[in-house]
Amino acid sequence: MASAGSTNSRRVIPGFGISIGFTIVYLGLIVLIPLAGLVLKSAGLGWSELYRSATDLRTVNAIWLSVWTAFIAAVINVPFGVLVAWVMVRYRFPGRRILDAAVDLPFALPTAVAGIALTALYAPNGWVGAYLEEWGIKAAYTPLGIVIALTFIGLPFVVRTVQPLMEDIDKEVEEAAATLGAGRFQTVRRVILPAILPAVITGFALAFARAIGEYGSVVFIAGNIPYVSEIAPLLFIIRLEEYNYAGATTVATLMLMISFTLLISINWIQAMTRRRFGNG
Amino acid sequence: MQISIRNITKQFDRFPALGGVSLEIGSGELVALLGPSGSGKTTLLRSIAGLEHPSSGQILFDGEDVSNLSVGERRIGFAFQSYALFRHMTVLNNVGFGLKVRPRKTRPSRAEIRERALELLDLVQLGGLENRFPSQLSGGQRQRVALARALAIEPRVLLLDEPFGALDAKVRKELRRWLRQLHDRLGLTTIFVTHDQEEALELADRVVVMNKGEIEQAGPPVEVYDDPATAFVSEFLGTVNTFQTTLSDGIAEVLGTDFPVADADIGEGPQRRHGPAIAYVRTHEIELLSRERAEGIPAIVRAVFPFGGSVRVELAVEGYDTPIQAEVPRAFFEAGEVRVNSGLFVRATNARVFPQYN
Repeated sequence: MASAGSTNSRRVIPGFGISIGFTIVYLGLIVLIPLAGLVLKSAGLGWSELYRSATDLRTVNAIWLSVWTAFIAAVINVPFGVLVAWVMVRYRFPGRRILDAAVDLPFALPTAVAGIALTALYAPNGWVGAYLEEWGIKAAYTPLGIVIALTFIGLPFVVRTVQPLMEDIDKEVEEAAATLGAGRFQTVRRVILPAILPAVITGFALAFARAIGEYGSVVFIAGNIPYVSEIAPLLFIIRLEEYNYAGATTVATLMLMISFTLLISINWIQAMTRRRFGNG
Repeated sequence: MQISIRNITKQFDRFPALGGVSLEIGSGELVALLGPSGSGKTTLLRSIAGLEHPSSGQILFDGEDVSNLSVGERRIGFAFQSYALFRHMTVLNNVGFGLKVRPRKTRPSRAEIRERALELLDLVQLGGLENRFPSQLSGGQRQRVALARALAIEPRVLLLDEPFGALDAKVRKELRRWLRQLHDRLGLTTIFVTHDQEEALELADRVVVMNKGEIEQAGPPVEVYDDPATAFVSEFLGTVNTFQTTLSDGIAEVLGTDFPVADADIGEGPQRRHGPAIAYVRTHEIELLSRERAEGIPAIVRAVFPFGGSVRVELAVEGYDTPIQAEVPRAFFEAGEVRVNSGLFVRATNARVFPQYN
């Protein structure tokens, strides 16, 4: 393959040089330089200091809490997101457009507003919280509340990635399955779900990654009890306010590493499924 | 298997897609449903499959009423225009799908499914491609995978919706020949939908011409072509010149020659013998005569297309707004009679005349 710089290379779409240049500069300014600064800062701490603050029980608890609640929320969002996408793609009913717009609300709403609304609902004296209280379930001010908030903000990621792929499924493909004797359930399980699987994985990854870093909607409902319901992004703010820059940097670096590892491995899983589909 | 279609109607939002269609299809027959788009041919095919539910009427397979059976229960093989392959499955799994989804009791073992699918891939001449994905195949190959998949469930009838619609001309002809051989080998009752008259006439044992949700004519290709029953069939098959003319006592004049009205016992009501009529003359039924043998009516050559065994000539004739298309033997052209702007005489050797009722 001829390189972009060689004189005899002609690309059909012009502007490769300028667009790749712009992309790199943009990514550099917005993403890479701040992240590199972060890594540099933590490297400046020295290993012993870094190790000490990374193994601090409060830090470990906060990060672990952020990861597992985000994971559970993303897992919950997969079936519900697929269901919402399915309903909107397959059925025509009054109010469908309103529902369609409502799915995006978690994107648009200030997260703090969502957090306060959810807290009001799930607090022991809230509409939903009061019922849960009767069953002996405490939602607000516990990790359960965090999962609820993270589920709320993650839903559109799954719906919006799955929806276009679902729209692409030809009606004739389902009919073909029916003519071959497959029942409705078999058609869904063997034909439709495998076809949307790559989008489901992407949606899951996006919801998960977003939830790990979510701050605004969680802090109100979580109660923020250290070691119990204190999430990593909050601990980061607390360390900053304490002028404990080493502690803050450590939290940030650990979160960065975890997010990056997760996204890379999910990309890898994606590549594998796509290869199986034969249209990589 | 023998199929009886009895007075099927289908309404789509008040618009009738099928208006009372009846048809008998014999066991092992290869039948073409031919018609323009919107003629109801695909709706009829889908009704036989059970993908569409007719508003009224009955469909019988070997005398058994299948009107209330679901698609899956009818045991039909259906090939879709878009092929509708499962893109996340290999060719082998696509073909084996129909066997894999059977209830546990009747489901063959994994090894048997694999063996059967490989056999079918050999039958459709795709041996060795079993591990490919549909996206890695050409259009013609995909169509053959779709056929193998449909055949895997040992269908009682094979239904094909525009089987060659999305393919280029050359592949289309090859596949057509191949499908005929396959049909002769398997002896499976086959119905296919097409809007391509050449395809229908060359491939089918019997051609069913449809228009506006009704059957205009059904018969062997030669019969439908040579003896069109209605004005629509005359116009739809072959390349024709259309002439507005007038009937008087059952006779109409076309290019200086008199022709009797077609004996249509099919038209609505008694045959009309006077009044406006429409005449159809195929391009090869226009005879060109040189100046010395002045018969027919004078015409001027406007264009000549000398490509192929016969030469297509476009002529302007006084009194006719649209140019007349004629097809003459190449020898006639090579004799030097036909040149652009030369004067000639034209005559119709045959015409099908239908009274106009509207």
